[in-house]
Parts: sequence; C-alpha cells; structure tokens
Amino acid sequence: MAERPEDLNLPNAVITRIIKEALPDGVNISKEARSAISRAASVFVLYATSCANNFAMKGKRKTLNASDVLSAMEEMEFQRFVTPLKEALEAYRREQKGKKEASEQKKKDKDKKTDSEEQDKSREEDDEDEERLEEEEQNEEEEVDN
Amino acid sequence: MAAAAAGSGAPREEEAPGGEAAATQAQAPASASGARLSRLPLARVKALVKADPDVTLAGQEAIFILARAAELFVETIAKDAYCCAQQGKRKTLQRRDLDNAIEAVDEFAFLEGTLD
Repeated sequence: MAERPEDLNLPNAVITRIIKEALPDGVNISKEARSAISRAASVFVLYATSCANNFAMKGKRKTLNASDVLSAMEEMEFQRFVTPLKEALEAYRREQKGKKEASEQKKKDKDKKTDSEEQDKSREEDDEDEERLEEEEQNEEEEVDN
Repeated sequence: MAAAAAGSGAPREEEAPGGEAAATQAQAPASASGARLSRLPLARVKALVKADPDVTLAGQEAIFILARAAELFVETIAKDAYCCAQQGKRKTLQRRDLDNAIEAVDEFAFLEGTLD
C-alpha cells in the first residue's frame, strides 16, 4: 500500500505544543482537531514546496533555496510570514556560521594535538606497508613461473 | 512581532484579548518571535519535500524555512479556529472549528478537501 504524501505527518507532540502555545491558557484541543491541524501542516508544506519549486524552475535552478520559499509564501498569500521567516533565516545562518567556525576551531586544535602522535603512528604504518609490498612481489613472481 | 502574534486572516477583525498576552508570554524566552529556531524536525520536513516528484534538490536553508513556515501556519490556523470556538463559548477546539476557519479564511482555501 503506497503511502500518500499527505500521510507523512509531523510529530504529534511538537504540533500539540505549538498549538497550545498559540492559544490562551486553559484552552484544549480535541484529538480530531489536533490531527486535522497536523495533516493541514503537511499539506501546507507540500503546497509550499510545489510553489517554491516553480520559482526555482523559473530561475533555471535545480535546487530549492530560501528565497524560492519566501516567494512561495507571498504567492500563497501568507505575506505576513515573510518578515518572521527572514528573521529566522538570519538567525539560522548565524548559527550555522557559528557551528562551522566552532568545528573548524576544534579541528585545528585536534590537529595540533595529534600531530606529534601521528608522526610516530605513520612511521609504524610505513614499515607494515613495506612488508606487504614485498609479499605481493613474491606472489607475482610465482604466478609468472607457472 | 505584531504580525506573528495577530494570526487572524484578512476578513477577521476580533481577537481574543487573552490570546495575545499568552502568546507573547510563551515567546518571551526566545530572542524574538520570528527568530526562534524551528522545533519541527528538519528530517521529516525534508521527507515531505522529497515526496514531490518535481523537486530535484532542496537546500538546507529552504528546508529550515519550510519548517519554520509550517510552525507559523499551525499557530495561525489554531488561533483562527479558536475564534470560532470562542463564539460557541467552548474551551475545547473541535474539528468543526477548523473546518469553519478553512471556509472563512481565503488563505486556507488550499486546504479544502484535503483533510478527509
């Protein structure tokens, strides 16, 4: 049985939390309403993807980018999302940049530490490699004879 | 952000007075309501995007923005549906409130017929 795209649901717990934070305290939501909203969110993503993809194709690109999605929001008449989304994008870019710099820094530190260790290690490996090469050459000679 | 907190579609004027306050309280820990990073798992959003046969590739930023947009959408539709429940003086959001919101708000027209 093929799974329809709309059946790909987003996690219930997260959806519920988002709904509860959007509503005043003391307001509840029925299970049917909650799952309908979850389904609506999936449909929203699918529709937005399709719209965004049209913009990407117009720009002769094969990869969806952030501005395609923002254009899609305007097309879908969700202009009010555009500003918060732009802010979120900037925060996301800062975070990604920070992560990248942090991992590069870690790598630099790691390289400094293991440099001396690696020198000893590579010497051992070279010795092993030489042994293996000698064995292979012997085998080749035997085959040629036969 | 007033835009994010308002939530109602174009035709709707009224807003739950307690709603806005509660919403801003909930968002207070984050730097700004729009800048909070997504809670929806990007992997699941990516799975939805990949389900479209016309999509070749999607950049990481695009996936992130879609996730955040989906969150904003959930907040928006929940608030709009709540306005319907309030009119019925109920404290529990029902499925029919959602259906009413979809019918009433132009931006939700794309949902018609998809939730059954």
